[in-house]
Amino acid sequence: MAFDSARNLSAVVIGAGLNGLTAAATLAGRGARVTVVEKGEGPGGLMTGAGTGELGQFVWNLHPDALSEFGVSPADLGLGPALPTVALSPDGRHVVIEGGAARFADGAAHPDAAAYRALRWRVARFAAVLAPLVRMAPPRLGVGLMNRAGLPELLGLARLGLDIRRLARDDRREFLRVILSNAADLVLDAMPDGPLAASLAFDAVLGSRTGPRAPGTVLTLIYRHLQGGERYRPEGGMAVLAGRLARAAEARGAAIRYGAEAAGLVVEGDRVRGLRLASGEVIGAGLVLSSLGALPTLRLAGATHFDAEACRRIRQVRAEGTAGRLDLCLSAMPRLEGLPATLHRARLLLAPSVAALEAAFDPVKYGAVPGAPAAEILIEPEGAGARLSAIVQHLPRAPDGGWTTEAREGVIGSVVAALAVHAPGLPDLVREARLTTPAEIEAATGAPGGHWHHAEFAADQLLTLRPVNGMARYATGLPGLWLCGAAAHPGGDVTGLPGRNAALAALGAGVRA
Amino acid sequence: MNRMARETVSPRPRPASRAGLIGTPFEARLRALSTAEDWMDWAGCLSPRALGAVETEYFAIRNQSTLFDVSPMRKYRVTGPDAARVMDRLVTRDVSRLAPGRVAYVLWCDEDGMVIDDGTLFRLGADDFRLCCQERQLAWLNDIAWGFDATIADETDDVAALALQGPTSHAVLEAAGLGLPALRPFGMAEPEPGLTVSRTGFTGDLGYELWVRPEGALALWDRLWAAGVDLGLRAIGYAAVDIARIEAGFIAAGAEFQPIHRALRPSRGRTPFELGLGHLVDLAKPHFNGRRALVRHAKDGPRRSLVMLDIEGTKPAAGAMIYRRGRHEVGHATSAVWAPTAKRNIAFAEIEARAALSAGLRAEIYTLKEGRWERTMTRATVTDRGVFRPPRARATPPGRF
Repeated sequence: MAFDSARNLSAVVIGAGLNGLTAAATLAGRGARVTVVEKGEGPGGLMTGAGTGELGQFVWNLHPDALSEFGVSPADLGLGPALPTVALSPDGRHVVIEGGAARFADGAAHPDAAAYRALRWRVARFAAVLAPLVRMAPPRLGVGLMNRAGLPELLGLARLGLDIRRLARDDRREFLRVILSNAADLVLDAMPDGPLAASLAFDAVLGSRTGPRAPGTVLTLIYRHLQGGERYRPEGGMAVLAGRLARAAEARGAAIRYGAEAAGLVVEGDRVRGLRLASGEVIGAGLVLSSLGALPTLRLAGATHFDAEACRRIRQVRAEGTAGRLDLCLSAMPRLEGLPATLHRARLLLAPSVAALEAAFDPVKYGAVPGAPAAEILIEPEGAGARLSAIVQHLPRAPDGGWTTEAREGVIGSVVAALAVHAPGLPDLVREARLTTPAEIEAATGAPGGHWHHAEFAADQLLTLRPVNGMARYATGLPGLWLCGAAAHPGGDVTGLPGRNAALAALGAGVRA
Repeated sequence: MNRMARETVSPRPRPASRAGLIGTPFEARLRALSTAEDWMDWAGCLSPRALGAVETEYFAIRNQSTLFDVSPMRKYRVTGPDAARVMDRLVTRDVSRLAPGRVAYVLWCDEDGMVIDDGTLFRLGADDFRLCCQERQLAWLNDIAWGFDATIADETDDVAALALQGPTSHAVLEAAGLGLPALRPFGMAEPEPGLTVSRTGFTGDLGYELWVRPEGALALWDRLWAAGVDLGLRAIGYAAVDIARIEAGFIAAGAEFQPIHRALRPSRGRTPFELGLGHLVDLAKPHFNGRRALVRHAKDGPRRSLVMLDIEGTKPAAGAMIYRRGRHEVGHATSAVWAPTAKRNIAFAEIEARAALSAGLRAEIYTLKEGRWERTMTRATVTDRGVFRPPRARATPPGRF
């Protein structure tokens, strides 16, 4: 595609989250006139709570293809080296995972280090099979594969086939055996239960309404490790990263308008002609890319433009967020026993075992708050004190009785108590505590159900089924309206790929039209 | 002809027994009149295939007047501020052009443009519709109405319905004190509170359908029955209606097309264009279900065509394979009958679209003659649909005959 092939196209991107910005940069970089409208006061979407501060804490799986659309390098974004992970252990022998290798925090060798390395290596090999699939729209199945237009799809499928064949025979058999099974079995087949095993199970369920024993969690684990599975903490936090990405998109030529709420589409002759804002202003555009979830996009456009089957599928997308965020304002940097000071700013995992992780998920199914929630924790100095943030993995969206002060304090108390085992002084350092529940995440960002990935990450909602059958290739059915958010393929995490892939698909269709 | 009528027209499941079938509000009268004891399962209801001799019943449709219990039809009421938008979203025709007090024959399609069902749409008021059809549609209607301010109610059991069809049908209405001389085809009226009469039907002849609360069903029957004594009024079963509808060129679900929600094989779905009903698709109106797929189908042209064949001879061609140039199999007959009034041997046939334009079609007909099958290759010609459509069916005011 020629660099300026999209010169005459005008596009509106809804949402200035990572995917919206990536879509905007991709379009603008190819010459389209792009306006990003963002309801919040700043960029970043789920990374920043739409500019209100910080919701996410780490960057992982940010894809080089997405970055290249911004024309920036990881260093430009202040991503720095990958963070080590510390899996906190109740017995004080914390496990440090760095560069794919595991050891005890005191430097001693971990008995399962070899098994862990082998499993990571196996997951990485499987991830390599799926890697080409995330960089493009998922293959069109069934009709049209054998004609000229279907050739790229056919090649894509052939590549997946080839990649599977390229695996050694035993690996191939293993890939097909485990791909739809559960992460707990995969991990516990390789090593005994404990913090190290739980660290992988945690990756498999992060942000999802599942426990590690749910079928299909191996697929999500492999998905998570497409870029190696390393976490990065952007310099200055997620808000600074979001600001840098927004500026990079603007440098590509995109205009970003904050405080601009999309209120409806202008549709004429079964084609999108523009976007109407809540202020009543209409932005004319032949392309509208929505980084909202599938259902909010449907509601924005109006059901009248969609077939009943599409509405039904979208209504039935599972998107019930069960991860919340806890922020603690501390009067000083806490000291974690058994952990050298250099590792205090690592990614800390509060998940003592796979069994504990499963047990923490279980109450959520029944609308109850888990007594010992699993969490991913980051502690950073702030001013004279420190700030501790935690993604609490399993919280009911609507607990029985609602999110009362008591329920909130229960969650805060149990996370603080679990940490106090390792940092005895912690409870006295807490000056202020704030819990952001999935419902509040939804209110702040518009993410359906407050779900981090806009649609549950599960085998039946991935690839050609993401977000729903018939919309996996970013087109919604209404000509000119495209899905470019986390709900679209490949979905979730901080990859930027849905935005990039959707923009390329929309451009391809726009240029052909 | 009785055997012919029973075995050569479109197949209908014959229940092993009457057990479990629900009686309609007219059950008492139907049972009393039945001499043939030939019942069928219509949407779970006990429905007569024939009450007496099929020939007599058929000729009563064409020469006198007939009562056929159509209560098992599914009836849905759609009301609310968005009711018109919902109906426009459902059907392929432009509902905004359907005035209150009028009825339209409509089709509706799935997202691939395949026909889900056909039926009649009654506009009872600006925001008040009744949809009558064969297949259960409550779930589908609720899917269609999602996101709109409209209420869907299944009123199948709340409305009893009678088809009064035949040249003397208006005379019967008049004799019953229900004359509607000004009522045009596809119009409806309420001659008395609680009784709706529409000038609609499935026979292609002059005829009416009467809609009443179940409590009033038997009284309505008795009133018409008494009025029809001197006008040849006869109660009939489906077999006679089936002959009449093929003769009139009306398609039936399950025979001429497979309702896509019931088809296990997606390839069995048919577009309105393929059923020869493209004139009922308004691609110019705003989006409706399946519109984008239908735009593509309209561009690509039909894969197959449903045509009416005029078949040489008198042997009914039910289930016959259709060949082009004697060798190439191009399709099959979906319903076939010797049309007694038109006096032609006709069949609905689904054939390859290209073959519909070609001469030289042959129907391969098997006939069982006293223990031996005989195979004949008979010339078949594509003809206009509806070999019997008398002007009296449309005359307003209707004649007395």
